[in-house]
Amino acid sequence: MAAVLLSKSERAYIQSSLKATPPLRADGRGLLDFRTVLLETGVAPLANGSARLNIGKMAREGGGGTEIVAAAKLEVEDVESGDGVDGGRVACSVTCSPAAYPHLSSNALDELQHDLSVILQQTIGHPSLHPRNLTIIPRKKSWLLNLDAVVLADAGNVVDALFMAARAALWDAKVPRTRAVQYRAPEALKSAKNDVPGAMDVDEGTSGFDTRDMARTAADFELPDYWDEGETLDGREKWPVCVTLNLLTPRHFLDATPAEEASVPQRLHLMFSFVPSAPPTLQAMRLLGPEELDLKDLKESIAFGEQYAKELFTALETKLREEDNRRNIKARDRFALMR
Amino acid sequence: MICFASFPATSDASGSYGTTRHHPDVEDDVRMDLDEDDFEEGVQRLTVPGESITSSHAFMRGHGTYVDDEEVIASVAGTVERVNKLITVRAVRSRYNPEVGDLVVGRITEVQPRRWKVDANSRQDAVLMLSSVNLPGGVQRRKLESDELQMRTFFEEGDLLVAEVQAFFADGAMSLHTRSLRYGKLRNGQLVTVPPILIRRLKSHFVSLPCGVDLILGLNGYIWVSKHVKQSDQEGEEGFDAEAVYSNKNDEIDDATRAAIARVSNIIKVLASHFVPLTDAVLLEAYEWAVDQENSVKDLLADETGENLVASIGLGIRP
Repeated sequence: MAAVLLSKSERAYIQSSLKATPPLRADGRGLLDFRTVLLETGVAPLANGSARLNIGKMAREGGGGTEIVAAAKLEVEDVESGDGVDGGRVACSVTCSPAAYPHLSSNALDELQHDLSVILQQTIGHPSLHPRNLTIIPRKKSWLLNLDAVVLADAGNVVDALFMAARAALWDAKVPRTRAVQYRAPEALKSAKNDVPGAMDVDEGTSGFDTRDMARTAADFELPDYWDEGETLDGREKWPVCVTLNLLTPRHFLDATPAEEASVPQRLHLMFSFVPSAPPTLQAMRLLGPEELDLKDLKESIAFGEQYAKELFTALETKLREEDNRRNIKARDRFALMR
Repeated sequence: MICFASFPATSDASGSYGTTRHHPDVEDDVRMDLDEDDFEEGVQRLTVPGESITSSHAFMRGHGTYVDDEEVIASVAGTVERVNKLITVRAVRSRYNPEVGDLVVGRITEVQPRRWKVDANSRQDAVLMLSSVNLPGGVQRRKLESDELQMRTFFEEGDLLVAEVQAFFADGAMSLHTRSLRYGKLRNGQLVTVPPILIRRLKSHFVSLPCGVDLILGLNGYIWVSKHVKQSDQEGEEGFDAEAVYSNKNDEIDDATRAAIARVSNIIKVLASHFVPLTDAVLLEAYEWAVDQENSVKDLLADETGENLVASIGLGIRP
């Protein structure tokens, strides 16, 4: 996305290597190989769900690789005052660290952040993916799900990494259990008022503690003290994954390095959602680059993309369940120690 | 095709932080108690940031140190160096500190009046003056106004070049020159970046491996890995061929050479991640080992293979 300086001969070298038979990439990977992805969930203790992800870090090396931290945080919103929406809402934002893009001016960095935020917001915040358990009290209070991602380093393929990190953070997110609290007027007071209108002039009506006129519905909520942090977001299997097809007709390849990104004319981002017992759905699509793409080629690319996304999804799912297990075991051990 | 892994655990490493580990060669030196007259020639001492080096009464503080409570304290991790009474610490990881005569590989970032700005992994961009490049049509030709107008035909933004550090400006920026037939624009290969400290000063920084791969080890940590070009072809028929020197077109490169270039690049990355100083001998040995193992090119980047590779050439810090 960010323009990396590359000389003409380097670009020609990368392109001709990719077009050779068999194709060869700078680090010897095949066209469809990803670099190793490192993933950890639950990295931010104050967030409701968080994840750290790195693509392409060399073992033992201190830095390197595309590094993303994503965190989901829930916030209470008042629906009546107009802040919130009944049923809750999802707000996504992406911040790029200037250290990840040292060659960009602050304006260019803002633009990049905005672009990434829009992609994330429009895909993750889509109504078809909206979790149903973001309501606290119907028509009164709801959760606002903030999903914030920070790009700490960019070594190519940021969008895929962003969606993987977002999915991991949302997978990890726990909605706190709430219990509705309602005010109930004592029966005696109620009958007294209905008794003889105007007979006695008691100033009950002016009391601030008098809640008789209030509707008998939940007015507020409390957080019960539970051993776990709450329940997972509804429909967490649905969160999409993204695959980026770098198109160098007639070939395409995955997980490009910055140099490779700079030397392909077109990129196609495909976001797929895989719900068990339903066909995969294409949630969003972005085509970047100056060239055109035939409808026929586009269809083909989408079919390929679906296949790759499925693999990516399965691998990510396995890793996320592994992470869940790891953290549950850790929590259980700590609990056992405390007892 | 995609595989997930966990971040290396930090908790189990904490156990070994209690004891400091050192390279076996320097272990004895480190154990020595350092007195004021212990800064002998040939004795390398490693520091961590915040480590006290010596008293500030007897010595002066230099780069990489500061004085606190009458003691000279290291502000970076690196090796202690002493010149008379001046104590400096040379950082293990830093930007490139240029010296006159160094061979560097750089990338053009900007074209300015009569000069190019070059990114050479230093603190400031280097400068390449129009007067310090070879112009087409004779090495000794005077530069003309027409040359100033067509500077982009020689070098444009993004181009890679190999040059030598000629001098320094008052602000510390380095001035480069390409007035040799071996210097100039780079083609037919790819760039690998390593920490500058890993590049040793060698007799020649143009290394030719027998697998048909040429290496240019820039002292700034940029390494150019390219197809082998014969000495005679490189210099052209009549000594200087402007077409070839400023060309953007790659030669025909066969698949075996491409694979060799990728393999050499991966070997360099592995050695750099294990912090092995790079010399032509080390690279050659590592390449032979890699070919003997008959691994595919991408397997080299696996952690295990990397460790075996470093062990095979008998270098690196053993755990």
